[in-house]
Amino acid sequence: MEKKVAIAGFRIAAAPDLETTRERLVFDLSKGLLDDLGITRDAVDNFVFCSNDFMDGRTISHVFIGPAAGGYMKDQTKVEMDGLNAMIYASMGIISGQYDVTMVVALSLTGSQASPYLYTDYSLDPTYDRQLKLLNELSAAALEARSYLTAGGYPEELLDVVAAQDLKNAAANPGQARRIDGVSRERIKGSPYYYEPLRELHCYPPTDGGCAMLLVSEKKAKELTDKPVWLLGMGRSTDIYYLGDRDLSTSLSAAQAAERAYAMAGIKDPASELDLAEIMSLFAHQEPLLAEAMGLLEKGKAAAAYEAGDTAVEGRMPINPSGGPLGAHPICATGLIRAAEAARQLRGEAGENQVKKAGVALAHGQDGVCAQQSAVVILGT
Amino acid sequence: MEEIKDTFLHPVVPLDFQNNYRVGAYLQRYLDGFKEKKILGAKCSQCGRVVVPPRKYCGACNLVMEEFTELPQEGTLENFTVGHVNLEKGQWKRADAPYVIGMVRLDGAANAMLARLNVSPADARAGMKVKAVWKDQVEGEHADLDCFEPA
Ligand SMILES: [Zn+2]
Repeated sequence: MEKKVAIAGFRIAAAPDLETTRERLVFDLSKGLLDDLGITRDAVDNFVFCSNDFMDGRTISHVFIGPAAGGYMKDQTKVEMDGLNAMIYASMGIISGQYDVTMVVALSLTGSQASPYLYTDYSLDPTYDRQLKLLNELSAAALEARSYLTAGGYPEELLDVVAAQDLKNAAANPGQARRIDGVSRERIKGSPYYYEPLRELHCYPPTDGGCAMLLVSEKKAKELTDKPVWLLGMGRSTDIYYLGDRDLSTSLSAAQAAERAYAMAGIKDPASELDLAEIMSLFAHQEPLLAEAMGLLEKGKAAAAYEAGDTAVEGRMPINPSGGPLGAHPICATGLIRAAEAARQLRGEAGENQVKKAGVALAHGQDGVCAQQSAVVILGT
Repeated sequence: MEEIKDTFLHPVVPLDFQNNYRVGAYLQRYLDGFKEKKILGAKCSQCGRVVVPPRKYCGACNLVMEEFTELPQEGTLENFTVGHVNLEKGQWKRADAPYVIGMVRLDGAANAMLARLNVSPADARAGMKVKAVWKDQVEGEHADLDCFEPA
């Protein structure tokens, strides 16, 4: 794909409780980003928001956050899925030639002001699953975890190994909400079960947070930044709704979304051509599961790859060097944050967690029960 | 300036839409079957797959499934989890005792259904044969099919 869309800049915020309002968070993120780039809202010709009406407790919630982002009297639309879908949608507006500068803002206050688990509850079939009251985000993830571990012949301890790597990376990333110093596999294994095999520290923490990203055309990229990060490919896919019809040991949506993104970016061997991946794994098992599905790790060899350090910051295929969603999951923003964290790596600004040679990166986002929907972007310098 | 203390407000007009859902003809047949302690699925005339609960379209063939067929009350526990919490209105609470829920594939069904298992966590095994347990009084409601237990 030609270099037509660039990330000019981004801002991330995440904490268990940001002690702020939705409007203030959106203002701080977007005004901060405009200040970083030395421009005003006059330079922006399109705004794309990603929020959820249930999480915000009001319908058409972006009418309240649009003005806070400086989007009044401008073109505004909202995507109500994961924020990586908002990034893809916003990019299409630039590729089509309609816009040159688009601000994408995604957020939720699901740490302090709304329960994250309701988001999934309200997505379930009201005449079946919501009647039976057995399926919820945590029980579904546990079934997926068991299915993946069984199929790969992996021990339950793989979850502790994955979580330990993520939480170590998260502790070194000031942009994360859950930062635990010196977290050990033993401490993770000692945290209480929700649904077996998933324990508290295998699961994402309820998080307040958001992300603002400025996407620009090639012409504007030259004016606004010395370190443009280019969109090289993108893909999306949606799997079957019914959990009992799906093979939970893998992710068809991630595999197909990645395949489409690789084709667009001209990537033939992702495991060797990609320098790092930021994956929206909300639970420890999803990280190797999604990495295998997207061809980043060999099927059935994930445990060996983690033990050998292949997936660590200094490894052959660094996965979630930012710490990933086990460090923060502000619903709606999490996938967009993956793209921002990948861009941070490509710009060489990831501090302690910087991957040495970072030229091409993958970012993954998901929505729905057990990643029913996946979005993938390939980014490069 | 004096420090302002933040307060949380619950909306005076709460978000409490009362949504009513028609279940549709297929789920209605399924629930009507419960009145006779029968489990009905829908069968695809092209690929022969039977899905339960019944739904109108075969996803694989993109065809309307017109045949309803009764499934056996026995099946296989394909996958399970032991719950240590319960979620209610988005909040989790520790369960009084660990319990088992899992994916049960009825014999002859193409898909699995999530169900409660009347088996102790220590005895639950993927691959074990299980059978349906009904409430004594059936009313044509989801709750009539109480759980599954080892066959
Ligand atoms: Zn069929």
